[in-house]
Amino acid sequence: MLSVLIWVPILGAVIIGCLPESMVATRSRQVALAVATGLLGWSLYLSSQFHLSEPGLQFQEGLPWIESLGLTYQLGVDGLSLPLVLINSLLSWLAIYSSDGQIHRPRFYYILLLILNGAVAGAFMSQNLLLFFLFFELELIPLYLVIAIWGGARRGYAAMKFLIYTAVSGVLILATFFGLSLLSGSSTFDYAVLQEHTLPLSTQLVLLITLLIGFGIKIPVVPLHTWLPDAHVEAPTPASVLLAGVLLKLGTYGMLRFGLQLFPEAWRVIAPGLATLAVVSVLYGSFAAIAQTDMKKIVAYSSVGHMGYILLAAAAATPLSLLGAIAQMISHGLISALLFLGVGAVYAKTGTRDINVLRGLLSPERGLPLIGSLMIVGAMASAGIPGMMGFVAEFIVYRSSFEVFPVQTLLSMVGTGLTAVYFLIMINKVFFGRLPDSLANLPRVRWHDRVPAMIVTVLIVFLGLQPSWMTRWSQTTAVALVEDRLNRSTTTFAEVRSVPSDPDWLSLQLTGSESPKRPIH
Amino acid sequence: MVPATRSRSVHPLSNLIDRLEQGGALLPDSPENVLEVVGILKSYGTVLDAYQRNLTYIAEHQFLVLFPFFKYFNGEVTVQKLLKHWWHDRINYEFAEYCMRGMLWHGAENLDRYLDSDEFCQRAAAAIAAKVRSNPLMRGLNRLSPDFLLEQVRMLVYYSVLGQFWNVMSRLFLVLSDRYDRGEIRAIPEVVQHVLDGLVAAANNPLTYAVELQGQRYEIIPESAGLTFLMDAAVPYVEAVFFRSFPFFGTVSYNAQAHQISPNQADFNYGALFADPLPVGGAGIPPTLLMQDMMHFVPDYLQEIYMRGLRGSDDLRVKICLSFQKSMFCVTTAVIRGLAPYPLSTTDPEQRQVNRIYLEQWMDRLLESRLVTLN
Repeated sequence: MLSVLIWVPILGAVIIGCLPESMVATRSRQVALAVATGLLGWSLYLSSQFHLSEPGLQFQEGLPWIESLGLTYQLGVDGLSLPLVLINSLLSWLAIYSSDGQIHRPRFYYILLLILNGAVAGAFMSQNLLLFFLFFELELIPLYLVIAIWGGARRGYAAMKFLIYTAVSGVLILATFFGLSLLSGSSTFDYAVLQEHTLPLSTQLVLLITLLIGFGIKIPVVPLHTWLPDAHVEAPTPASVLLAGVLLKLGTYGMLRFGLQLFPEAWRVIAPGLATLAVVSVLYGSFAAIAQTDMKKIVAYSSVGHMGYILLAAAAATPLSLLGAIAQMISHGLISALLFLGVGAVYAKTGTRDINVLRGLLSPERGLPLIGSLMIVGAMASAGIPGMMGFVAEFIVYRSSFEVFPVQTLLSMVGTGLTAVYFLIMINKVFFGRLPDSLANLPRVRWHDRVPAMIVTVLIVFLGLQPSWMTRWSQTTAVALVEDRLNRSTTTFAEVRSVPSDPDWLSLQLTGSESPKRPIH
Repeated sequence: MVPATRSRSVHPLSNLIDRLEQGGALLPDSPENVLEVVGILKSYGTVLDAYQRNLTYIAEHQFLVLFPFFKYFNGEVTVQKLLKHWWHDRINYEFAEYCMRGMLWHGAENLDRYLDSDEFCQRAAAAIAAKVRSNPLMRGLNRLSPDFLLEQVRMLVYYSVLGQFWNVMSRLFLVLSDRYDRGEIRAIPEVVQHVLDGLVAAANNPLTYAVELQGQRYEIIPESAGLTFLMDAAVPYVEAVFFRSFPFFGTVSYNAQAHQISPNQADFNYGALFADPLPVGGAGIPPTLLMQDMMHFVPDYLQEIYMRGLRGSDDLRVKICLSFQKSMFCVTTAVIRGLAPYPLSTTDPEQRQVNRIYLEQWMDRLLESRLVTLN
């Protein structure tokens, strides 16, 4: 069932590649959109078949591939990966839908988007470390090309920087995987097998730090973040949506899946450092955002800050904090997508993203009132205003992390206040006041420009009001991840036990729904 | 000795002064402008006709009705009309009242003098007495605050005066449209001349106001009061609605706190000629109710031009506002010409000199108007 999410987009790419030249301009987009619609539908169907009370992997598929290398085709999803698979399908659909209908070289463009979609889905579902690495590397190529070909004026520089940073990231991750396999004396890269091995703490530390630098580049964590603002600024809007919404999550997903789960004892040792690094990311990202004048850079630095919350929650590693980390991944995925869609629409209509040039875009008839309103909703959600999913995710992160890292959590909470500061600066400058005469004749905003942002906004508000629909997928998995760590760890985690980890308590706190039946001992 | 040759004005809007002296209008003459102005005046004429009917209805049939819930229904209260009213797909009579209040607030010299006279007070008192005779509540109210109902009657006079003014103007604009359709109007100066001729023709029409209460007619403004169309309705209207007006409700407090509103009424320039066509959450909100009303009656040929714009139908109200301002500058031109001390085409150097001073005074007032951006 899961292979559909990998191979159908590849098949779609092949079909687009085989289209006769006369049909390329009109049919490429239609084929890509049809494939993306099918994938979104399939993801939703998988979600409906997902057993919420089952903590382990579901829909598993396994095929031997190059067994001498330890590479097998092992797929599966749990409560950590399923929401990300869903987000990938949704944002890919939105990215294709919101792509410029008149884009040049449409055949190549849509092929790359579909490959990107399949590769990311493959990475989230891989249960073999080498397979994960292959998909992780595969997604770099289409994104590099999309930025390099359809990007802004400095696209060559930004694309190359992105490629170098993420290639280094890939090398470090691959080195860790090889090291883990070698040092554990295993001939396979199967996640389940490697998870059973326990390495000495010092070895774990070396491997974990290497892995975290690798994923830290992808997340990105300060000071490994400098590629992100450049990539965002130069990338076309659909690529920015995918980059912020999904691709950064590969970093946090990898950190949780491979860092936290494969190196439990080392994780405990470095967790305080990670929490401090999270604070640095949150505060640096926020202050840097305040200093920007390019709307896209503001949202990009906002991403740096908000990914810090995931790092903080991951460092705390309690059932609730892991749930918070997953919720923050979903929340940031949708909110950043909305903000980038908004910035993209502003740029497409005005030709600038400079907040010192733009003004009065909420003007009802000649401005971009709906786009502006949706961006205000996005900014509010990002700043954690109650009633939107940003609030729910950040609240869970803070509530759970405070028990383990109170100082770092309090410092991170300053970031939420700073989010309001930089987004209010942006909104006040760009959307309020009188529309200048130089912007009084903007092109018409069509429903095609509005629909993607509207869909994301509805989800942000709906999941803010009904958060159990966001957390229900991951609740059991979050509890099981911590239980698994405790079972495999040679030491006890006082900080883990210090928080209420009873799933009934989780349900009561978060959803009020029936709880999973797996008590923690 | 005044030089025989015409010297050029040094006023910042000297180009407009030259144009006016040469028989032109404030608005440049072009086929596009003619089409826009005539088209929008056709729509405006239709809306004005509805406004004037309602103003007259309120003045005559809602006389001293303290809670006039159905004043916009023109006497025809049906469920269908009520639903339409609530749905807001209707003529926004509120705009007509807004203009009436603008006139009331800024005043009209002769009319206000009459409204402060003993004659008016006696006539109004007779009508008030007839109205409160069978209403103990209003009788008590009148005793407690004798000036209240009198002031209400003064306001109703303004309802009637504006209704009479717009009655003439609506017909004038609709006739202009008919003449354009027949090919008789081809240039902006001809539009101005048409308006000027209409104003001159109606200039001495008497302004009167009477109400019928319990079968008896009460004349509030008799013909003998000597109030006439041009000087007591048209000129005060241009002054109050075109030029001064007042900041829109809801923004007054905000702007007053920011010291953006002059305490001196004479410094106000919130009128139609100054309104910013781009709506924002601050001072200068355009008269969007009027634009909304006119939107329903824009003739096809103008609609077609609007649709060709970048925003199509999305910014229709802004486009209508821009066209409306163009048309109002044509009406203003007619007023300037009509009130000029001497015909602007005069060749007498002394008369030209007097006219020049007169025109420069007008231009001083138009310096901050939208005219500069429309030219």
